[in-house]
Amino acid sequence: MATEAAPMDEKAKRMRDLLSSFYAPDPSISTSNSSISASFDNINSTSFDADQYMDLMIKKSNLEVLLQRHVQMAAEIKNLDTDLQMLVYENYNKFISATDTIKRMKSNIFGMEGNMDQLLQKIMSVQSRSDGVNTSLFEKREHIEKLHRTRNLLRKVQFIYDLPARLQKCIKSEAYGDAVRFYTGAMPILKVYGDTSFQDCRRASEEAIEIIIKNLQTKLFSDSESIQARAEAAVLLKQLDVPVDSLKAKLLEKLEQSLDGLQIKPEEASKLVEHDDSSNDTESNDQHPAKIHEDAVRGFSEAMRAYREIFPDSEERLFKLARALTAMHFENMELYIRKRVSAADFLGIFRIIWEDVVLMDEVLPEAALSDLSAEAAQVTLKQFVARTFSHLQQDISDTLLKFDINQKEAVEGEVLKVILEASQKAVLQGTTNIFQDFRQLLDENAGIFIKMRDLISGWIQKGFQDFFRSLEAQFLVLSGKTSSSNDIEGKSSDKIHAGLILVLAQLSVFIEQKVIPRVTEEIAASFSGGNSQAFENGPAFIPGELCRVFHAASEKLLQHYIDTRTQKVSVLLRKRFKTPNWVKHKEPREVHMYVDMFLHELEEVGKEVKQVLPQGTFRKHKRTDSNGSNTTTSSRSNTLHSDKMTRSNSQRARSQLFETHLAKLFKQKVEIFTKVEFTQESVVTTTVKLCLKSLQEYVRLQTFNRSGFQQIQLDIQFLKAPLKETVEDEAAIDFLLDEVIVAASERCLDVIPLEPPILDKLIQAKLAKSKEHNNNNTVSS
Amino acid sequence: MQGGSSGIGYGLKYQARCISDVKADRDHTSFLTGTLSLKEENEVHLLRLSSGGSELLCEGLFSHPNEIWDLASCPFDQRIFSTVFSTGESFGAAIWQIPEPYGQSNSSTLECVASLDAHVGKINCVLWCPSGNSDKLVSMDEQNLVLWSLDSSKKSAEVLSKESAGMRHSLSGGAWNPHDVNSVAATSESSIQFWDLRTMKKVNSIERAHVRNVDYNLKREHILVSADDESGIHLWDLRKTKVPVQELPGHTHWTWAVRCNPEYEELILSVGTDSAVNLWFASVSSEKKTSESPAETSRQRVNPLLNSYTDYEDSVYGLAWSSREPWIFASLSYDGRVVIESVKPFLPRR
Repeated sequence: MATEAAPMDEKAKRMRDLLSSFYAPDPSISTSNSSISASFDNINSTSFDADQYMDLMIKKSNLEVLLQRHVQMAAEIKNLDTDLQMLVYENYNKFISATDTIKRMKSNIFGMEGNMDQLLQKIMSVQSRSDGVNTSLFEKREHIEKLHRTRNLLRKVQFIYDLPARLQKCIKSEAYGDAVRFYTGAMPILKVYGDTSFQDCRRASEEAIEIIIKNLQTKLFSDSESIQARAEAAVLLKQLDVPVDSLKAKLLEKLEQSLDGLQIKPEEASKLVEHDDSSNDTESNDQHPAKIHEDAVRGFSEAMRAYREIFPDSEERLFKLARALTAMHFENMELYIRKRVSAADFLGIFRIIWEDVVLMDEVLPEAALSDLSAEAAQVTLKQFVARTFSHLQQDISDTLLKFDINQKEAVEGEVLKVILEASQKAVLQGTTNIFQDFRQLLDENAGIFIKMRDLISGWIQKGFQDFFRSLEAQFLVLSGKTSSSNDIEGKSSDKIHAGLILVLAQLSVFIEQKVIPRVTEEIAASFSGGNSQAFENGPAFIPGELCRVFHAASEKLLQHYIDTRTQKVSVLLRKRFKTPNWVKHKEPREVHMYVDMFLHELEEVGKEVKQVLPQGTFRKHKRTDSNGSNTTTSSRSNTLHSDKMTRSNSQRARSQLFETHLAKLFKQKVEIFTKVEFTQESVVTTTVKLCLKSLQEYVRLQTFNRSGFQQIQLDIQFLKAPLKETVEDEAAIDFLLDEVIVAASERCLDVIPLEPPILDKLIQAKLAKSKEHNNNNTVSS
Repeated sequence: MQGGSSGIGYGLKYQARCISDVKADRDHTSFLTGTLSLKEENEVHLLRLSSGGSELLCEGLFSHPNEIWDLASCPFDQRIFSTVFSTGESFGAAIWQIPEPYGQSNSSTLECVASLDAHVGKINCVLWCPSGNSDKLVSMDEQNLVLWSLDSSKKSAEVLSKESAGMRHSLSGGAWNPHDVNSVAATSESSIQFWDLRTMKKVNSIERAHVRNVDYNLKREHILVSADDESGIHLWDLRKTKVPVQELPGHTHWTWAVRCNPEYEELILSVGTDSAVNLWFASVSSEKKTSESPAETSRQRVNPLLNSYTDYEDSVYGLAWSSREPWIFASLSYDGRVVIESVKPFLPRR
C-alpha cells in the first residue's frame, strides 16, 4: 500500500506544482519548495540538468534498472501528454460558452428605455390629481376645526361657572376629595382670568374652598375622626397649598404638652405604686393614679400613631419626643430612688415605665426605644443596687452611733451589749433584706430584667464586695484608727468612746464568722450567674479576701481598744511619776491614790469587755471557792518576796543585781506580749500586762530615795491582790510586778524595803478605807 | 544564749541605755557605749568590729564618774564624745576626750574637755552639729535649749545662746537637722518643736503628744521620723505638718527610739520596750503619696516590717547605725547587752 500510495502522491503533487507554475505570476516562488526538496536530479525543478541526471543514472544503476527507468519514463511522458491535451480542450470549451452568453445580453437590452418614459408620465398625472382634491377640501376642514375648539372653550367656561355650586354640593356630601380635584383643575384658569371675567365665580369658589379648608382642619384635629380620614384631610390640605408645617408644629406642641402630664413625679411615684398594689380592693374606683397614668400613656401613643400616619415624613421629631419621655421617666426614677425605696416599689415603678416603653415602642419601632430604655434601666438599676448598699451601711453606722455611750451609765448599764446586739441584728437583717429585695429583682419578668439578669448578679456580687470593704474602712474611721480625710481635725480620737471600738472589733468578728459565710451561701444559691461575662478577672465577690480583711480589722480594732485603754492608764502613770521629786520623797503613809484610779480603769475595761466579748474557754479554776486561798497565796508570795528583799538588803547591791540576773537566767522567760484573743480574760490580761510594763518603764526613768522606793513597794504590794483577782495569767502578773520592784530597787540610792508588818498595816488601812468608801457610795446611792 | 541569732554580742557589766556610732573613725566600724548604774563604777566602752565583721572587740574601757543617760560621739574627732550623766540627785553634761594611746583595754581615766554646766534641771541630751567639722553643740534640759561653741584645743566651751522653752513644755530630746545646720527638732510633752538656732526661736511645731524620739532622714530632706509611746512610728513631711505621711505600727509596747539609715533612705530601725528591734521599709516620698496605685499601698500595708530582731532579754533603749558600713547597726538592751546585726539580707535591690 505504501509503495502504491507513494507514486500516487507523487503524481498528484507534480500535477499541483505544474498547475501552480502555470498560474503563478512568479515561477521562482512556486518552485522554491520543490527546488529545495529535490536537487538537480529532480526532474520537476527548474534547475534540472538532463545531462547530469543521465550521467548520475548511468553511473549509479545497472542496465536492468536503467531499462526499467526508461520504460517508466516513457509511460510518464505519455500520461503527461494526455493530461495536457485534456486541459487545452476544456479551456477552449469554456471560452466558447462565454462568447455565447455575451451575444445574448446584447440583444436583450434593446427597448428598455421606452418603457421607462411611459412609467414616469403616469406617475406625474397621479400627483396633479391628488393636489386638486386637497385644495378643494381645505376650507371645509378649517371650519370644522374652529367649531370644535369653540365648543371645548364653552365647555370649560361652563365648568367654571358651575364650580361654586359643584363645590357646595361636595361640601354637603363631604366629598372633599372631589372638591379639591375640581378646584385645583380650575385653578390655572381662575388664576389668569380671575380678576376680569370670572370675578364672581372665583370669589364664590374661593369661599367654598375656605369652608372646605376649615372643615378639613377641624377634621384633622378632631380626635374622634379615624386616622385614615385625618390623614386624607392632611393630604388634601397639602394639595390646597395650605401651610401644613404650622399644623404639624401645633400638633407636636400638643403632644409635648401632654408629656408633662405623663411624668412620674418622684413625689407621686410612691402613691402610684401604692394604688397599683391596692387596686384589687378598689376595683370599682377608676381613679387610682396608675390606671390614669396608663390611660394617659395609651392616649399619648395613639396620638403619636396618628401623627405618624398623618405626617410620615417627620418621624424624627416623634422619635425625639418618645426618647425624651423615656429619658424623663428614668431621670425621675433616679430622683425617686435617691430616697429609700423598697425593691417592690422600685419594681412597681419600673414595670410602669416598661409598659409605657412597650406601648410607645409598638408605635415607633424605629425609635429604638427599648434599647434606649434598656441602657437607662441598666444605669438606674446599678444605681439602685449601689444605693441599697449605701443605705445598709448608713443603717449600720446609725445603729452604732445611735446610743450615747459617752454617758456615765454606759459603763454600768448594758449599753455596749445593746449596741452590739442591735448592730449585729442590723447587719444580719440588712443583708437578709437586701437578698430579699434582689431576689425580687431577679424574679421580675419584665423584658429588660431578663436580659440583665447576669449583669444584676454581677452587680450584686460586686456590691457586696464593695460594701464590706467600705464597711471595714468605715469601722476604722469610726474607731478613730484612721482619720478620714474630710474630718475636722478637732474631732479626733478623744471623742470616740473606747467601748465603741470594742463593739466594732466584736462586730468585725461577727461579720467575719457569721455574715460573710451566709452571704457567700446566698450568693452561691441565687446570684451565681454573671461571673462569666461581666467580670473577666475572677468573680467579683471573694469571701476569702473579705474574711481576711475583717479578721485583720477585728484584730486591729481590738488592739486599738487595748491601746486606747492603756493610753489612759499611761497618762495617769506619767503624771504620777513626773510630778514628785522622787529623790526627796517622804516616807510612805498610805497607798497612793493613782492605784485606785488604775484599778478603776481596769474595772471599766472589765465591765465593757464583759458586755461585748465572750468568755474564754480557759478559766481560772477555783475562782469562786478560792477567795481565801487566793489571799493566802498572795501573802505567801509576799513573804517570799520580802524574804528575798531583806536578804538582798543585807548584802551588797552589786550582788543583788547579779542575783536578779541569775534569777532571770533560771526563770523561764515569761511571755509578756502574747497574742490577744477575743475573750474577756485575754483582753483584760493584755491590758494589765501593758500597763504594768509601762509602770516598770516609768520607774526605770526615775531615781528614788529610800522612801520613794518604799512608796513604790507599797503600791505594788497593794496592787497584787486585786490584779490577780482579775487576770488569768498569774505568773506573768507576778513576774511583771516583781520586775517593777526590781526596777525600783535598781534605781534606788538606798534600798531598804518596808518591814512586812508595816506594809500589811498600810494595806489593811487602805482596804478598810476603800470599803468604807464603797459603803458610803452604796448608802448614798 | 539563744539559737538562731546572727548578731554579734557583747556584754557590758551593768545596765546601759545609750550607744553611739563613732562617725569620725573612718578606718573602723566603732561604737561607744556607757553604763547606767547608780551605785557602781560606771564605764565607757569603745567597741570595734573586727575587720572580718565576726567579732566585737573592746578597744578601750574608761571609767566614768557617774551613770550615763546620754552619749554622743563627736562627728569630726573620734576621740571626743559627750555624755549626759546623773549623780542620782542632779544632772550634768560634759565633753570627754579619750586619752592616747587608747589601744589597751585597761581601764583608764577620761580627760574632761569641757563641762556643759549651764543647766539646772534634768538634762536630756547633747547634740553635735551634723555638718562634720563645726564646733557647735546643743544641749537640752527640760526647760532650756543651749547652744555651745566648743574649743577642744583650749579645753573650753562657751555658751553662745540660751533660750527657755517655757515651763510647760518639758523637753525630752531632739535631733539636729542634717540638711539645715540652723534647725534643731526638740521633742516635748505635747509636740515636736523646731528651733532656729540663729534666732533661738521656735519656728514650727508638730502637735503630737508624748513623742519619745525623732530622727531626720539623712537622704531625704523634709522627712522626719518620730516614735511615741502609744501609736508607734510616724513619718512626717516637714512642709505638711498636719498629718503624717505614713504610719508604722511600731512595737507591742512603747517604741523607744527610731533611726533612719544613713545610706538607704527607706530603711528605718526602731527599738522598743517589748525587747525587740524592728526593721521597717518605708518608701516615703511626698510625690509618691499621690501617684501611688492602690495595689502598691496595699502591698505596703501588708508588710512594711522587714524583720523583727527579738533576741533580747530586756527593753532595748540604745540604737545606732554604723555610718561607715550602713548595713550594720548596734543595739543595746537594758541588761547591758550590745548586739551588732547586719541588715544585708533586707537591703533594697537597686
